[in-house]
Amino acid sequence: MAARVLQQCVRSLARPSLGLCPVNLALRAAVAPAVTVHRPFSFAADSRRTRWLGQSRISSVEVWCRQYGDLPPLTLETIKDRVMYVLKLYDKINPEKIQATSHFMKDLGLDSLDQVEIIMAMEDEFGFEIPDAEAEKLMTPEEIVQYIADKKDVYE
Amino acid sequence: MAASTRPQVISLYRMMLKESSKFPSYNYRTYALRRVRDAFRANRKVEDPKVVEKLLVEGGQMLALIQRQVSIGKMYEAQRMVVE
Repeated sequence: MAARVLQQCVRSLARPSLGLCPVNLALRAAVAPAVTVHRPFSFAADSRRTRWLGQSRISSVEVWCRQYGDLPPLTLETIKDRVMYVLKLYDKINPEKIQATSHFMKDLGLDSLDQVEIIMAMEDEFGFEIPDAEAEKLMTPEEIVQYIADKKDVYE
Repeated sequence: MAASTRPQVISLYRMMLKESSKFPSYNYRTYALRRVRDAFRANRKVEDPKVVEKLLVEGGQMLALIQRQVSIGKMYEAQRMVVE
């Protein structure tokens, strides 16, 4: 959406200046030649940008078409990103302080009730239940990622 | 908190949060979640085993009450609110 808007802006900017170009050139050639040298450069940059935008739009449409109706496959990387995203949204965790290895109670100063809530948020995010006995052992983001990867059969 | 009651309290907390999030009405749901969280935080420094026992029993009753109210709420489900 943003790319499309930007592209239209660039095009509408490029078109009138194309029309004005000969006049400008004629005028400026009389006054200052240095400025006319500058003009073609900016045109080249403009057209390059529109071309690039066009390409990016096409590729994004392709990706969009391919994935409808299906989730992107889970990998360790995406699981980690989603876990960290959920943790950063939790209001008692400082998003700047959190690391993959930080312990919820020792490093982040949370208590056992907060830990329960984090595990419940993970259940909501990944859509499956984590039993009590295993939930209480998950104390770092790393362990959560490992646990979810094991449950979802993700090994790479 | 005594070590033996700790898992019980944790599981009660989990159960209550889970049941509270099932309320179909937005107002009841957010109130119940907030109330459960606040009540557990307010009593987290309690050490006396007798008091803990009493609170656990009380919590069990509240859990049953939440479950009843959720099923009653489901009978009279209204339209979803704009805030949802």
